[in-house]
Parts: sequence; C-alpha cells; structure tokens
Amino acid sequence: MSNAAKTGAVLVVGGGISGLTAALEAAEVGKDVFLVERNPYFGGRVAQLNQYFPKLCPPSCGLEINFKRVKNNRKIRTYTMTTVKSVSGGPGNYEVTLETAPRYVNSNCTACGDCAQACTDEIDNAFNFGMNKTKAIYLPHEMAFPRRYVLNKNACSSACLEAVKGACKYNAIDTDMQAETFTLHVGSIVWATGWNPYDSSKLTNLKPESSSAIITNMMMERMAADNGPTGGKIVRPGDNKEIESIAFVQCAGSRDENHLEYCSYICCMATFKQMTYVRERYPNAKIYIFYIDLRTPGKYEHFREKLRTDANAQFIKGKVADIVAESDGGVTVIAENAVTGEKIRQKVDMCVLATGMQPALGEQGKMLGLKMDGNGFVVSEPEKGMIAAGCAKSAADVYTCAQSGTAAALKAIQTA
Amino acid sequence: MRYPAGGGQTITFQENNIVNMQPDIDFIKEMKEAGGDTLKKCFQCATCSVVCPLSSDKNPFPRQQMLFAQWGLKDKLLGDPSVLLCHQCGDCSAYCPRGARPGDVMGAVRAAAYRHYGWPSFLADLASKGQNLPILLAIPMVTVFIMWMISGSHVPEAKDFLDIGYSQFFGHWDFKLLPKTTFFIDFFMIPTAALSVFAAVRGVMTMWKKMSENAGVSETFSKPSPVQFVKEFLWPSVAEIVRHDRFKKCEANQDRVQGHQPLMWAFIGLVFVTAYSFFAQDFLGQFIEGMHGPMSMWNPVKWVANVAAVALIFGVGVLWRNRSRMEAEGRATKTFYDWFLIWMIMAVGVTGLGAQMFRLVGSPSLGYLTYYLHLVSVMMLFLYMPYTKFAHLVYRTFALAFERYRDSAYVKG
Repeated sequence: MSNAAKTGAVLVVGGGISGLTAALEAAEVGKDVFLVERNPYFGGRVAQLNQYFPKLCPPSCGLEINFKRVKNNRKIRTYTMTTVKSVSGGPGNYEVTLETAPRYVNSNCTACGDCAQACTDEIDNAFNFGMNKTKAIYLPHEMAFPRRYVLNKNACSSACLEAVKGACKYNAIDTDMQAETFTLHVGSIVWATGWNPYDSSKLTNLKPESSSAIITNMMMERMAADNGPTGGKIVRPGDNKEIESIAFVQCAGSRDENHLEYCSYICCMATFKQMTYVRERYPNAKIYIFYIDLRTPGKYEHFREKLRTDANAQFIKGKVADIVAESDGGVTVIAENAVTGEKIRQKVDMCVLATGMQPALGEQGKMLGLKMDGNGFVVSEPEKGMIAAGCAKSAADVYTCAQSGTAAALKAIQTA
Repeated sequence: MRYPAGGGQTITFQENNIVNMQPDIDFIKEMKEAGGDTLKKCFQCATCSVVCPLSSDKNPFPRQQMLFAQWGLKDKLLGDPSVLLCHQCGDCSAYCPRGARPGDVMGAVRAAAYRHYGWPSFLADLASKGQNLPILLAIPMVTVFIMWMISGSHVPEAKDFLDIGYSQFFGHWDFKLLPKTTFFIDFFMIPTAALSVFAAVRGVMTMWKKMSENAGVSETFSKPSPVQFVKEFLWPSVAEIVRHDRFKKCEANQDRVQGHQPLMWAFIGLVFVTAYSFFAQDFLGQFIEGMHGPMSMWNPVKWVANVAAVALIFGVGVLWRNRSRMEAEGRATKTFYDWFLIWMIMAVGVTGLGAQMFRLVGSPSLGYLTYYLHLVSVMMLFLYMPYTKFAHLVYRTFALAFERYRDSAYVKG
C-alpha cells in the first residue's frame, strides 16, 4: 500500500447494475462515493429488459431497491449525463475531470408532465431503440431515476421551446443551461461502463435493414416489456402482425473475428428467455433457433432442458448466414443444417438477431490511461486503484455483474 | 448411443452400424502444407455453405469438407465432387468467423487430390512441392538443351533468320516428309503429351470411380452410352465452363473472370493455331512448297496466334495481379500450387511473343535463347499438367459432368 495521502473517496463510472452495486457496497462500508452516469437516468441496460436472470424478475424488482439505497445513503453523490474527460494523479489520489451535459431541466422538476403535453416536436425514443417516438422533452422511461425530465434542445423548434417553458409551473426549464466541467479527487476508480448491443447493421450478409421483420434481441426485450413501445405485445414492427413463426439467429456478430471475436455469454440464455415471452403470448407459434452451439452456463442448463421439450420449437445446428426479405412482410432465413448436411430455408414472420455485447467504453478507455484487452474490455489494475466491473470487464449476465460490482468495491476501498 | 440433435431429431449409431473413423494424419499435414494451414480453426458454424454462391441446397459445401479435412478423411475428400465444384470465389473465407479460410482449404484439397490421382506418383510428388522447383525446371531445360546439342547446335545467320525463323531450330535435313526440326520436337513433345494425357485419363477414371462409390451410385440404374455421356453430361459441362457461368456467380473475387476468360480463349486459340500449323507445315507442306517456315504476318492464322498470345499474357497478368493483391490483403494464402501455374503460363506467353519479336528485329542469338525457353515452358506445361493446378482443366470438367450425372435419370432411375 502506498503511504501517500489518500482522499478516501471512490469514483464509480457507470450507473447500471454493476456500478450501482459497487457504489452501494463501497458507501455502505463508509467510503465517500461519486457515482456518474452518461445517460439521464440510472439503471443501465437492466432497465431496458423485460425480465432478467436468474429468476426472470422484471427490472423494477432489482433496480428499485438499489435506487432507494442510493437515495438514502448520504455517502453517495450521483451525477447523470456526466462523462469522464481525463484522469491524472496516481493510486490513492486521482484527479478526475468530468463534464455534465446540459439537461435543460433543473431540480425544480416534479415530473408532472405538463411540458411534454405542450411539446410539439418528437424524437426517436432511444430507450426503445427507435421503435416509437417520444416528445423532445421527456422522461426517459416510466421508472427513471432521477425522476426528472430531459430536454433535447436541438430537436425543439423555438416555438416549441416557448410552449414547453410556458407549460412548466415550477420554473424548472432552463434553456440557457451550459455544459459543466468539474474536478473530483478520488483514491480509486471503478469502471462499470457497461455494454452496447452490437450494431446489427454491420452484419451485412443478414441485411437487417432490408425488412422490419428483422429485429434484435434487445428490441425484443423492449417489445415484451409492459412499458415498451407496444405495451408488451410481440408483433411485427411495421404492420403489427401477430406472429405465427419466429426465428432466433444466434451468434449474430459474436464469436466472429469480423465482428466480436468473443462469445457474448448471454445471447443463448436471452433467446431461451425470449422463447418464453413468445410462448406466453402465442401458445402455438413455431419457434426456430439457429445456433452453432447452445451455451447455457451452470444451472442455466435446466432452463434449456425445459425449453427443449417445447414441441413447436425446432433447434437447428447451423448459423444463419443469409436473410431474404419476402413480399408478405416476413423473411426467409437460410442456414446449413450441419446435422443433415442440407441447406434449410425457413420462412418466418419475424426474425430476432441475437446480437452480442460490445464494451461501451471502447477506444476512449485507452485515452483515459486504462489497460484494455484486444476486444475493448477493461483489464483491472487493483494496485493502481483502477478496477473494472460488470460488462466493462467481460460479457456477463446480471447476477454475475452484481457479484463483479461487489468484488470491485472490495478492491476499490483498499486503494481509496 | 443416441445423441439429441435438436427439434426432436436424434442421430442413432446402432451397435452394428458404428461409424468407423480413420483419420489420416499425413493427409492433414499435406493439406496444411498445400495452403490449408488454417483448417483447424473451423468450428463448423456453416456460414461458408450459405454464403457460397456455388453450393447447392442438397449438397452444400464447404462446411462438410472442412470437417472431413480436420478429421483427415482422405477417401471422403478425394471422391467428393464438391471439392472441384468450388471455384475459390473467396466469399466463404471473407465471411468465415474464425479465419479458417475454407476457400484456401478447398484449394489445398484439390492440390492433394491431383497429387494422389497423379501417375507416375514420383512425378506427381515432385510437382507438388515448391522445394522441387529446380528439378522441375531442370527436366525440360536439360531435355531441350540435349536435343539441341544432338541436332547440331544450329544458330542461323542474321540474313536467313527472318525467312527461316525457328523452323530449323533443331537443324535441317533434306528428307522432306519429316523435317529434322519437326522430328526432334515430336521426339520429346509427343511422349510428353502422351504421358500427360494418359495420366489425366487414368486420374479422371480413378476419380470418377471414387466419386461414384462415395455417392453410392456404383450400382446405377442404367449406364449411359459414350455418346449419351458426352451429349448429356460432358458437353453441357464444357459449354458451362466456356461461358464461365459459375465463375460469374462469385462475389468476393469477381474480377478473376476478367483474367480467366481471356486466358481460356487464348488457350483455345493457341490449340487451333498449333493444330493448323501442324496441318499446314507437316501435311500440306509435303505437297505445297512454301508452306514450311514461319507463317506470313498477313496470314489470318498468324493474327489469331498473336491475339491469343496477347490475351494469354493479359489474362494471366490479371490473375497474377489479383492473387498478389489478395495475398497482400491477407485474403489468400501464398502457395506454390497457385503460383507455379501462373508462372508457367506467363513464361509460355512471354517467351512465345519474345521469340517472334526477336525474329522480326533479326536477332538470332537472342531469338534462339528465347525460343529455347519457349520450348522449355511449353514442355513444362504439358509434362506437369496432370499434377499441378493446371489439372483442374480435366478434373473439374469431369466433376461438373459427375454432378449432372449424379442427379440424372441414369442414377435416380
């Protein structure tokens, strides 16, 4: 341990399930914690799920209690819409420069929603992967924490801005708000910067833009969620057709050196989970799962065994390498069945690309002086007080992320 | 044993029907050396079979062939028409998620197949390895040189050179029915060509038998007559080759057609010119004075010869450039198998045109040297045809015919 003066504080970058866990664990043993999040809300990718493993809980289940713990803990300071700009200093005493983007809505906001009613301009709803629109002033999602609106000023005409301002009874809208830069002194940093779904448009042979019947697994989560764009209905985007057949395309971009070289770990289980979403809504729909290998780590194997008994589900060993848009709005997925040695052309109403996890930090990590592996994951350096947690460290499911968050906190408090 | 295979299917290996695997380690090594060094990277996702523009729904490739290669199942691969139906477009290698380069592996399997079907085997082994290049060059160089020495080491005067050209390369005698130079050329070229043709016929017949066995069509419903065979299977395959139908379906390396097509026409042109020259000089020449010696530059056949020579150099040049580029970009493995054929054809074209040029400018010593190298490279092309990449000329043609045959009424009944 270094004898240099220590600030005793921990910075947690990323407010998803890993970051929340790390922040709470560090704060609950008495450290000062700064929790910063790029989005206007905490909860990260878990907030976007319909259900999550291991118990298939809705995200409100796990996130709400964590939000409450954060709110009640005076040791944690939270910052949304905030990103790390630079890091200097050394273990025990880092100086971190951060920037908070303007939210244009101050803490007077009560989330009454009058502004959104008055707002005339709309933007794609990023929380729902653009499957629906939201007003240019919006609450990111129903259980957003902090419960405060955000204004996308660039998407708002001046007339719209006036209307929005006029509608607010609490003087909460401040269109002159500027980006703010500030500095924190911390002893160690937990990097819980999470993941992004792999950009499916890069899968050129699957032509995801050729048909609205081709969706990603994360879009499926939003559709299945009650607070999603369809209110929980799984229907084909575009024509809202109820589906009679659906194909899941595994390893869409994962285990592929042209895309993500590694196995994203969660996609097989996500597909099994989404089979249950489909089955709940459509007891007789045909389900086709195209895979290279089915990877169901540990006790998840039981879940697989249960779903493999589904008489209307067919598992085909062979990766889908071509998708053809059909005139009736459906698609034909093409693979070689490696067991029979023949090609299969399966026409379906909808097709789900099981896209993988790409570390969200990416190249920026190197500029911040982090040790990164070849795939963009952060490699922990506990002796330096730089610790990776959750999906910033490796592709993982929710409960592994929570474990990883706790482990990161344990390391972080030793250097802080 | 029962293995669940998804969707309620099961593969059953009954006690009395055990699948007996005989991996051939040496064969795996051989393929790795011939450019298939990436074959072990394949994890059988089958992306390749789907992106392949040439593979059919009933017999997709190259996923299965990658598995056979990993297991060293030599018999399966050598008797598999898919190996030869592959035109190495490279789409499979471009999309392969593991960098296993199925296209290169298929090329390596073909190289191994030509070697194994080759006869005599010492010559086939010799022609399959780059380290033997000095010997491969020495055989024709020494042969032609010795012939030239025996014939009297003749080099013409500059004043006669334009008229007689290379018609007296191996000297001259007065026995008109068989000029001395023709005699000498026939003396080594005819046995070379005969060996080559024999080896190719023998190889194709062995291959056909193996393919029939593997496809389970040895007990055919009714056998086609030779005429039916040519009409229904061989001729449509040749027509398809000439049209470059499959080549044109390639996406990743589409520009190879721009090289291969002129090259193929050049060979057709040169076969015609050679046949004409033989007929005119060695047959008509017996009766009509003046048919001997070089053709007039105004003879349309001479034009065909020159157009073909230019097309040959252009075509092989395009292939040369494409291959260099693919290798530089890491899209193909550099192999002796691929380059030896490109070098040989380039040598034939350059020395052929060069010899004509030196004759026209009246430089006998340079001309004779170039003509000597021309004879050497032509002999190489003939001699090594059945064992090098040039063998695709016969093996692929018959594999295309086999594909038609396999799906025909003769087999299906």
